[in-house]
Amino acid sequence: MPESRFEELILPHLDAAYSLARWLARDGDDAEDVVQDACVRAIKYLDSLRGSEGRVWFLAIVRRAFYDWCERNRPAEILRNATEALDAAVDPAIGPERTLLRDADSLALTDALAALPLPYREALVLRELQELSYKEISRITDVPMGTVMSRIARARSLLQRSPLLQSMRDPLPRSSP
Amino acid sequence: MNCAAALPLISAFADGELDVLRGHSVRKHVAGCAACAAEYENIRLLSTRLRDEAPRFVASPALQSRVRAALHRAETEQPVGKPRRVAGTRSWFFGGAFAGCAATVLAWFMVTALLQWHASEDLVAEAVAMHVRATLGNHLIEIVSTDRHTVKPWLSARLDYSPPVQDLAEAGFALAGGRLDYLDGRPVAVLVYRYRLHMIDVFVRPETGHATPAALRTLRGFNVVHASGSGMEWLAVSDAGSDVLSPFLQQLAQGSASTASEAR
Repeated sequence: MPESRFEELILPHLDAAYSLARWLARDGDDAEDVVQDACVRAIKYLDSLRGSEGRVWFLAIVRRAFYDWCERNRPAEILRNATEALDAAVDPAIGPERTLLRDADSLALTDALAALPLPYREALVLRELQELSYKEISRITDVPMGTVMSRIARARSLLQRSPLLQSMRDPLPRSSP
Repeated sequence: MNCAAALPLISAFADGELDVLRGHSVRKHVAGCAACAAEYENIRLLSTRLRDEAPRFVASPALQSRVRAALHRAETEQPVGKPRRVAGTRSWFFGGAFAGCAATVLAWFMVTALLQWHASEDLVAEAVAMHVRATLGNHLIEIVSTDRHTVKPWLSARLDYSPPVQDLAEAGFALAGGRLDYLDGRPVAVLVYRYRLHMIDVFVRPETGHATPAALRTLRGFNVVHASGSGMEWLAVSDAGSDVLSPFLQQLAQGSASTASEAR
Protein backbone atom coordinates (compact mmCIF):
# COMPACT_ATOMS: atom_id res chain seq x y z
CA MET A 1 0.00 0.00 0.00
CA PRO A 2 1.85 3.09 -1.19
CA GLU A 3 -0.33 5.38 0.91
CA SER A 4 0.67 3.97 4.25
CA ARG A 5 4.31 3.70 3.20
CA PHE A 6 4.27 7.32 2.19
CA GLU A 7 2.68 8.33 5.49
CA GLU A 8 5.19 6.33 7.43
CA LEU A 9 8.37 7.16 5.55
CA ILE A 10 7.85 10.56 3.99
CA LEU A 11 5.25 12.57 5.87
CA PRO A 12 7.34 12.80 9.06
CA HIS A 13 9.88 14.74 7.01
CA LEU A 14 7.45 17.27 5.58
CA ASP A 15 8.72 20.07 7.81
CA ALA A 16 12.32 19.31 6.91
CA ALA A 17 11.35 19.30 3.23
CA TYR A 18 9.52 22.59 3.49
CA SER A 19 12.34 24.20 5.43
CA LEU A 20 14.88 23.19 2.80
CA ALA A 21 12.63 24.34 -0.07
CA ARG A 22 12.04 27.59 1.74
CA TRP A 23 15.74 28.27 2.18
CA LEU A 24 16.40 27.43 -1.47
CA ALA A 25 13.49 29.34 -2.97
CA ARG A 26 13.47 32.09 -0.34
CA ASP A 27 9.73 32.42 -0.72
CA GLY A 28 6.94 30.67 1.14
CA ASP A 29 4.47 30.13 -1.72
CA ASP A 30 7.15 28.96 -4.12
CA ALA A 31 8.51 26.59 -1.48
CA GLU A 32 5.03 25.07 -1.07
CA ASP A 33 4.80 24.47 -4.82
CA VAL A 34 8.20 22.82 -4.77
CA VAL A 35 7.30 20.54 -1.86
CA GLN A 36 4.00 19.61 -3.47
CA ASP A 37 5.83 18.67 -6.68
CA ALA A 38 8.40 16.73 -4.64
CA CYS A 39 5.62 14.78 -2.92
CA VAL A 40 4.07 13.82 -6.24
CA ARG A 41 7.47 12.53 -7.36
CA ALA A 42 8.08 10.78 -4.07
CA ILE A 43 4.77 8.94 -4.34
CA LYS A 44 5.65 7.90 -7.85
CA TYR A 45 9.13 6.64 -7.03
CA LEU A 46 8.43 5.32 -3.56
CA ASP A 47 9.39 1.82 -4.66
CA SER A 48 12.98 2.93 -5.18
CA LEU A 49 13.31 3.90 -1.50
CA ARG A 50 15.21 1.27 0.41
CA GLY A 51 15.82 1.07 4.11
CA SER A 52 15.46 3.85 6.61
CA GLU A 53 17.01 6.70 4.66
CA GLY A 54 13.66 8.41 4.15
CA ARG A 55 14.76 11.90 5.03
CA VAL A 56 17.86 11.98 2.82
CA TRP A 57 15.99 10.35 -0.04
CA PHE A 58 13.11 12.81 0.21
CA LEU A 59 15.35 15.87 0.59
CA ALA A 60 17.21 14.86 -2.57
CA ILE A 61 13.86 14.82 -4.38
CA VAL A 62 12.92 18.18 -2.91
CA ARG A 63 16.18 19.66 -4.12
CA ARG A 64 15.74 18.21 -7.60
CA ALA A 65 12.18 19.55 -7.68
CA PHE A 66 13.48 22.96 -6.71
CA TYR A 67 16.04 23.05 -9.51
CA ASP A 68 13.43 21.98 -12.06
CA TRP A 69 11.04 24.58 -10.72
CA CYS A 70 13.81 27.16 -10.88
CA GLU A 71 14.54 26.33 -14.51
CA ARG A 72 10.91 27.00 -15.39
CA ASN A 73 10.33 30.05 -13.22
CA ARG A 74 13.64 31.70 -12.46
CA PRO A 75 16.10 30.60 -15.15
CA ALA A 76 18.22 33.66 -14.46
CA GLU A 77 19.05 32.43 -10.99
CA ILE A 78 20.54 29.16 -12.20
CA LEU A 79 22.41 30.89 -14.99
CA ARG A 80 23.84 33.43 -12.61
CA ASN A 81 25.03 30.74 -10.26
CA ALA A 82 26.55 28.77 -13.09
CA THR A 83 28.44 31.53 -14.81
CA GLU A 84 29.39 34.23 -12.36
CA ALA A 85 32.34 34.24 -10.07
CA LEU A 86 30.48 32.97 -7.06
CA ASP A 87 32.92 34.24 -4.52
CA ALA A 88 32.02 37.86 -5.00
CA ALA A 89 28.33 37.36 -5.55
CA VAL A 90 25.79 38.17 -2.92
CA ASP A 91 22.31 37.71 -4.23
CA PRO A 92 19.72 40.37 -3.66
CA ALA A 93 18.05 38.35 -1.00
CA ILE A 94 14.40 38.15 -0.31
CA GLY A 95 14.56 38.01 3.45
CA PRO A 96 12.71 35.05 4.92
CA GLU A 97 10.07 35.44 7.54
CA ARG A 98 11.24 37.94 10.08
CA THR A 99 8.66 37.50 12.76
CA LEU A 100 10.33 34.36 14.03
CA LEU A 101 13.55 36.07 14.75
CA ARG A 102 14.75 37.23 18.07
CA ASP A 103 16.69 40.39 17.35
CA ALA A 104 18.60 42.45 14.85
CA ASP A 105 21.72 40.29 15.02
CA SER A 106 19.75 37.15 14.27
CA LEU A 107 18.01 38.97 11.47
CA ALA A 108 21.31 39.99 9.94
CA LEU A 109 22.64 36.47 10.24
CA THR A 110 19.53 35.02 8.60
CA ASP A 111 19.64 37.55 5.79
CA ALA A 112 23.31 36.83 5.23
CA LEU A 113 22.63 33.11 5.00
CA ALA A 114 19.74 33.73 2.61
CA ALA A 115 22.01 35.90 0.47
CA LEU A 116 24.64 33.21 -0.08
CA PRO A 117 24.87 31.91 -3.65
CA LEU A 118 22.78 28.81 -4.14
CA PRO A 119 25.44 26.03 -4.04
CA TYR A 120 26.91 27.39 -0.83
CA ARG A 121 23.55 28.15 0.72
CA GLU A 122 22.20 24.67 0.14
CA ALA A 123 25.34 23.00 1.50
CA LEU A 124 25.39 25.08 4.67
CA VAL A 125 21.63 24.84 5.25
CA LEU A 126 21.80 21.06 4.95
CA ARG A 127 24.71 21.00 7.36
CA GLU A 128 23.56 23.43 10.04
CA LEU A 129 19.78 23.39 9.86
CA GLN A 130 19.19 19.79 8.81
CA GLU A 131 22.25 18.57 10.73
CA LEU A 132 23.30 16.14 8.05
CA SER A 133 26.71 14.55 7.56
CA TYR A 134 28.91 15.41 4.58
CA LYS A 135 28.15 12.01 3.13
CA GLU A 136 24.41 12.60 3.29
CA ILE A 137 24.83 16.09 1.82
CA SER A 138 26.91 14.62 -0.96
CA ARG A 139 24.08 12.24 -1.80
CA ILE A 140 21.44 14.95 -1.71
CA THR A 141 23.33 17.51 -3.76
CA ASP A 142 24.84 14.91 -6.08
CA VAL A 143 28.44 16.13 -5.79
CA PRO A 144 31.54 14.40 -4.34
CA MET A 145 32.38 14.64 -0.63
CA GLY A 146 35.38 16.86 -1.38
CA THR A 147 33.11 19.37 -3.09
CA VAL A 148 30.74 19.33 -0.13
CA MET A 149 33.68 20.01 2.15
CA SER A 150 34.96 22.95 0.15
CA ARG A 151 31.48 24.40 -0.40
CA ILE A 152 30.73 24.39 3.32
CA ALA A 153 34.10 25.95 4.11
CA ARG A 154 33.53 28.58 1.42
CA ALA A 155 29.99 29.25 2.64
CA ARG A 156 31.26 29.88 6.14
CA SER A 157 34.01 32.15 5.01
CA LEU A 158 31.57 34.12 2.80
CA LEU A 159 29.18 34.39 5.69
CA GLN A 160 31.87 35.66 8.03
CA ARG A 161 32.81 38.33 5.54
CA SER A 162 29.25 39.16 4.50
CA PRO A 163 28.53 42.88 4.27
CA LEU A 164 25.20 42.13 5.95
CA LEU A 165 27.07 41.12 9.08
CA GLN A 166 29.55 43.98 8.96
CA SER A 167 27.11 46.39 10.55
CA MET A 168 27.40 44.40 13.72
CA ARG A 169 30.29 45.63 15.78
CA ASP A 170 31.19 42.16 16.83
CA PRO A 171 30.30 40.01 13.86
CA LEU A 172 30.50 36.62 15.45
CA PRO A 173 31.58 36.34 19.05
CA ARG A 174 28.23 36.67 20.66
CA SER A 175 28.28 33.52 22.62
CA SER A 176 25.00 32.32 23.97
CA PRO A 177 25.02 31.50 27.66
CA MET B 1 51.32 21.15 9.05
CA ASN B 2 51.43 24.91 8.44
CA CYS B 3 48.63 27.49 8.33
CA ALA B 4 48.25 27.36 4.56
CA ALA B 5 47.56 23.65 4.74
CA ALA B 6 45.46 23.78 7.90
CA LEU B 7 43.16 26.74 7.18
CA PRO B 8 41.08 25.16 4.41
CA LEU B 9 40.54 22.09 6.58
CA ILE B 10 39.42 23.81 9.76
CA SER B 11 35.79 23.98 8.67
CA ALA B 12 35.60 20.23 8.09
CA PHE B 13 37.60 19.66 11.26
CA ALA B 14 35.04 21.63 13.26
CA ASP B 15 32.34 19.39 11.77
CA GLY B 16 34.26 16.27 12.78
CA GLU B 17 34.34 15.25 9.13
CA LEU B 18 38.09 14.87 8.57
CA ASP B 19 39.66 11.46 8.34
CA VAL B 20 41.72 10.37 11.34
CA LEU B 21 45.07 11.27 9.86
CA ARG B 22 44.25 14.78 8.71
CA GLY B 23 42.09 15.37 11.79
CA HIS B 24 45.08 14.61 13.95
CA SER B 25 47.36 16.98 12.01
CA VAL B 26 44.85 19.82 12.16
CA ARG B 27 44.23 19.30 15.86
CA LYS B 28 47.95 19.49 16.52
CA HIS B 29 48.34 22.63 14.44
CA VAL B 30 45.34 24.41 15.99
CA ALA B 31 46.65 23.68 19.47
CA GLY B 32 49.84 25.57 18.72
CA CYS B 33 48.64 28.38 16.43
CA ALA B 34 46.65 31.30 17.80
CA ALA B 35 45.36 32.47 14.42
CA CYS B 36 44.02 29.07 13.43
CA ALA B 37 42.61 28.50 16.90
CA ALA B 38 40.69 31.77 16.53
CA GLU B 39 39.41 30.68 13.11
CA TYR B 40 38.29 27.37 14.61
CA GLU B 41 36.49 29.20 17.42
CA ASN B 42 34.82 31.53 14.90
CA ILE B 43 33.52 28.61 12.88
CA ARG B 44 32.19 26.92 15.99
CA LEU B 45 30.41 30.09 17.03
CA LEU B 46 28.96 30.66 13.58
CA SER B 47 27.69 27.10 13.59
CA THR B 48 26.08 27.47 17.01
CA ARG B 49 24.48 30.75 16.09
CA LEU B 50 23.07 29.40 12.83
CA ARG B 51 21.59 26.40 14.61
CA ASP B 52 20.12 28.56 17.34
CA GLU B 53 18.99 31.57 15.41
CA ALA B 54 18.28 30.78 11.75
CA PRO B 55 14.63 29.76 11.39
CA ARG B 56 13.65 26.23 10.50
CA PHE B 57 10.41 26.62 8.64
CA VAL B 58 7.41 24.47 9.30
CA ALA B 59 4.94 23.17 6.73
CA SER B 60 1.63 25.01 7.01
CA PRO B 61 -1.65 23.14 7.51
CA ALA B 62 -2.56 24.24 3.97
CA LEU B 63 0.52 22.50 2.58
CA GLN B 64 -0.24 19.38 4.59
CA SER B 65 -3.72 19.32 3.10
CA ARG B 66 -2.28 19.77 -0.38
CA VAL B 67 0.10 16.89 0.15
CA ARG B 68 -2.63 14.66 1.49
CA ALA B 69 -4.82 15.59 -1.45
CA ALA B 70 -1.98 14.68 -3.82
CA LEU B 71 -1.57 11.41 -2.00
CA HIS B 72 -5.24 10.73 -2.30
CA ARG B 73 -5.20 11.48 -6.02
CA ALA B 74 -2.27 9.13 -6.49
CA GLU B 75 -4.21 6.43 -4.69
CA THR B 76 -7.34 6.81 -6.77
CA GLU B 77 -5.76 7.27 -10.21
CA GLN B 78 -3.35 4.41 -10.35
CA PRO B 79 -1.10 4.06 -12.15
CA VAL B 80 0.16 7.55 -11.54
CA GLY B 81 0.71 9.47 -14.72
CA LYS B 82 3.47 11.92 -15.37
CA PRO B 83 2.92 14.86 -13.04
CA ARG B 84 1.13 17.53 -14.99
CA ARG B 85 3.15 20.60 -15.63
CA VAL B 86 1.01 23.67 -15.79
CA ALA B 87 2.55 27.04 -16.53
CA GLY B 88 0.99 28.68 -13.52
CA THR B 89 1.80 26.11 -10.89
CA ARG B 90 -0.77 27.43 -8.50
CA SER B 91 -3.70 26.65 -10.82
CA TRP B 92 -3.35 22.91 -10.18
CA PHE B 93 -3.74 23.64 -6.55
CA PHE B 94 -7.03 25.40 -7.03
CA GLY B 95 -8.10 22.74 -9.52
CA GLY B 96 -7.86 19.89 -7.08
CA ALA B 97 -8.22 21.84 -3.90
CA PHE B 98 -11.92 21.44 -3.33
CA ALA B 99 -12.16 17.74 -3.95
CA GLY B 100 -8.87 17.30 -2.20
CA CYS B 101 -9.98 19.12 0.92
CA ALA B 102 -13.20 17.17 1.09
CA ALA B 103 -11.32 13.91 0.72
CA THR B 104 -8.80 15.01 3.31
CA VAL B 105 -11.44 15.93 5.83
CA LEU B 106 -13.21 12.62 5.30
CA ALA B 107 -9.96 10.68 5.55
CA TRP B 108 -9.06 12.68 8.62
CA PHE B 109 -12.24 11.74 10.44
CA MET B 110 -11.84 8.12 9.49
CA VAL B 111 -8.26 8.04 10.68
CA THR B 112 -9.14 9.83 13.90
CA ALA B 113 -12.03 7.51 14.59
CA LEU B 114 -9.81 4.54 13.91
CA LEU B 115 -7.09 5.91 16.17
CA GLN B 116 -9.57 6.48 18.95
CA TRP B 117 -10.92 2.98 18.66
CA HIS B 118 -7.42 1.60 18.96
CA ALA B 119 -6.63 3.93 21.81
CA SER B 120 -9.32 2.59 24.07
CA GLU B 121 -7.60 -0.74 24.15
CA ASP B 122 -4.02 0.31 24.42
CA LEU B 123 -2.38 3.13 26.31
CA VAL B 124 0.68 3.04 24.10
CA ALA B 125 -1.34 3.28 20.93
CA GLU B 126 -3.24 6.15 22.46
CA ALA B 127 -0.08 8.04 23.35
CA VAL B 128 1.32 7.55 19.85
CA ALA B 129 -1.96 8.73 18.34
CA MET B 130 -1.82 11.86 20.51
CA HIS B 131 1.73 12.50 19.46
CA VAL B 132 0.94 12.07 15.77
CA ARG B 133 -2.17 14.20 15.96
CA ALA B 134 -0.33 16.94 17.82
CA THR B 135 2.52 16.86 15.34
CA LEU B 136 0.33 16.86 12.23
CA GLY B 137 -2.03 19.50 13.53
CA ASN B 138 0.75 21.74 14.81
CA HIS B 139 -0.73 21.63 18.31
CA LEU B 140 2.38 20.12 19.79
CA ILE B 141 2.93 22.93 22.24
CA GLU B 142 0.30 25.01 24.01
CA ILE B 143 2.62 26.76 26.40
CA VAL B 144 5.84 27.64 24.62
CA SER B 145 8.63 28.08 27.08
CA THR B 146 12.06 26.77 27.78
CA ASP B 147 11.69 27.73 31.43
CA ARG B 148 10.39 24.96 33.66
CA HIS B 149 9.17 27.56 36.15
CA THR B 150 6.75 28.75 33.49
CA VAL B 151 5.67 25.37 32.19
CA LYS B 152 5.05 23.77 35.57
CA PRO B 153 2.60 26.35 37.00
CA TRP B 154 0.79 26.45 33.66
CA LEU B 155 0.23 22.71 33.83
CA SER B 156 -0.61 22.45 37.52
CA ALA B 157 -3.16 25.25 37.15
CA ARG B 158 -5.04 23.00 34.71
CA LEU B 159 -4.64 19.63 36.41
CA ASP B 160 -5.32 18.11 39.81
CA TYR B 161 -1.65 17.19 40.14
CA SER B 162 1.63 18.96 39.61
CA PRO B 163 4.01 17.17 37.28
CA PRO B 164 7.74 17.52 37.95
CA VAL B 165 9.30 19.54 35.13
CA GLN B 166 12.99 19.46 34.36
CA ASP B 167 15.09 21.07 31.70
CA LEU B 168 17.75 18.70 30.43
CA ALA B 169 19.19 21.10 27.85
CA GLU B 170 22.71 20.29 28.97
CA ALA B 171 22.18 16.68 27.97
CA GLY B 172 20.84 17.84 24.60
CA PHE B 173 17.17 17.63 25.53
CA ALA B 174 15.88 21.18 25.51
CA LEU B 175 12.51 21.81 27.09
CA ALA B 176 10.30 23.31 24.38
CA GLY B 177 7.04 23.65 26.26
CA GLY B 178 4.02 21.70 27.34
CA ARG B 179 0.40 20.98 26.58
CA LEU B 180 -2.63 19.21 27.95
CA ASP B 181 -3.87 16.05 26.36
CA TYR B 182 -6.20 13.19 27.21
CA LEU B 183 -4.89 9.77 28.06
CA ASP B 184 -7.03 6.97 29.33
CA GLY B 185 -10.01 9.33 29.54
CA ARG B 186 -8.27 11.76 31.86
CA PRO B 187 -6.45 15.03 31.24
CA VAL B 188 -2.71 14.48 31.32
CA ALA B 189 0.35 16.72 31.30
CA VAL B 190 2.56 16.51 28.25
CA LEU B 191 6.08 17.92 28.37
CA VAL B 192 7.58 18.59 24.98
CA TYR B 193 11.32 18.30 24.51
CA ARG B 194 13.47 18.90 21.51
CA TYR B 195 16.37 16.58 20.77
CA ARG B 196 18.25 17.61 17.64
CA LEU B 197 15.51 17.50 15.02
CA HIS B 198 13.25 15.18 17.00
CA MET B 199 10.33 16.23 19.10
CA ILE B 200 9.73 14.16 22.20
CA ASP B 201 6.37 14.03 23.95
CA VAL B 202 6.55 13.02 27.60
CA PHE B 203 3.21 12.10 29.16
CA VAL B 204 3.26 12.42 32.94
CA ARG B 205 0.52 11.31 35.29
CA PRO B 206 0.26 10.07 38.88
CA GLU B 207 0.91 6.36 39.18
CA THR B 208 -2.32 4.42 38.76
CA GLY B 209 -1.20 1.02 39.99
CA HIS B 210 -2.79 -0.57 36.91
CA ALA B 211 -0.92 -2.87 34.62
CA THR B 212 1.92 -0.91 33.07
CA PRO B 213 2.99 -1.26 29.47
CA ALA B 214 6.31 -2.84 28.58
CA ALA B 215 9.30 -0.56 29.08
CA LEU B 216 9.86 -0.20 25.37
CA ARG B 217 7.66 -0.51 22.31
CA THR B 218 7.78 0.55 18.71
CA LEU B 219 4.56 1.45 17.04
CA ARG B 220 4.17 2.76 13.51
CA GLY B 221 7.79 3.88 13.50
CA PHE B 222 7.55 5.74 16.80
CA ASN B 223 9.43 4.60 19.85
CA VAL B 224 7.51 4.53 23.10
CA VAL B 225 9.35 4.26 26.42
CA HIS B 226 7.72 3.77 29.78
CA ALA B 227 9.10 4.44 33.26
CA SER B 228 7.96 5.04 36.83
CA GLY B 229 9.50 7.35 39.37
CA SER B 230 8.75 10.20 41.75
CA GLY B 231 5.24 8.89 42.23
CA MET B 232 4.51 9.44 38.55
CA GLU B 233 4.10 7.32 35.49
CA TRP B 234 6.15 8.49 32.50
CA LEU B 235 5.59 7.73 28.85
CA ALA B 236 7.85 9.15 26.16
CA VAL B 237 6.84 9.08 22.48
CA SER B 238 9.15 10.14 19.71
CA ASP B 239 10.73 9.27 16.41
CA ALA B 240 14.08 9.58 18.15
CA GLY B 241 15.94 6.31 18.70
CA SER B 242 15.10 4.20 21.74
CA ASP B 243 18.77 4.18 22.75
CA VAL B 244 18.41 7.92 23.23
CA LEU B 245 14.91 7.87 24.61
CA SER B 246 15.31 5.33 27.42
CA PRO B 247 18.14 7.00 29.36
CA PHE B 248 16.45 10.36 28.87
CA LEU B 249 13.19 9.17 30.41
CA GLN B 250 14.98 7.37 33.22
CA GLN B 251 16.74 10.60 34.05
CA LEU B 252 13.44 12.48 34.06
CA ALA B 253 11.72 9.90 36.24
CA GLN B 254 14.53 9.54 38.75
CA GLY B 255 16.12 12.96 38.67
CA SER B 256 12.82 14.60 39.37
CA ALA B 257 12.89 13.17 42.89
CA SER B 258 15.47 15.75 43.83
CA THR B 259 13.74 18.68 42.16
CA ALA B 260 10.17 17.80 43.00
CA SER B 261 10.16 19.44 46.39
CA GLU B 262 11.86 22.55 45.14
CA ALA B 263 9.81 22.86 41.99
CA ARG B 264 6.36 23.41 43.35
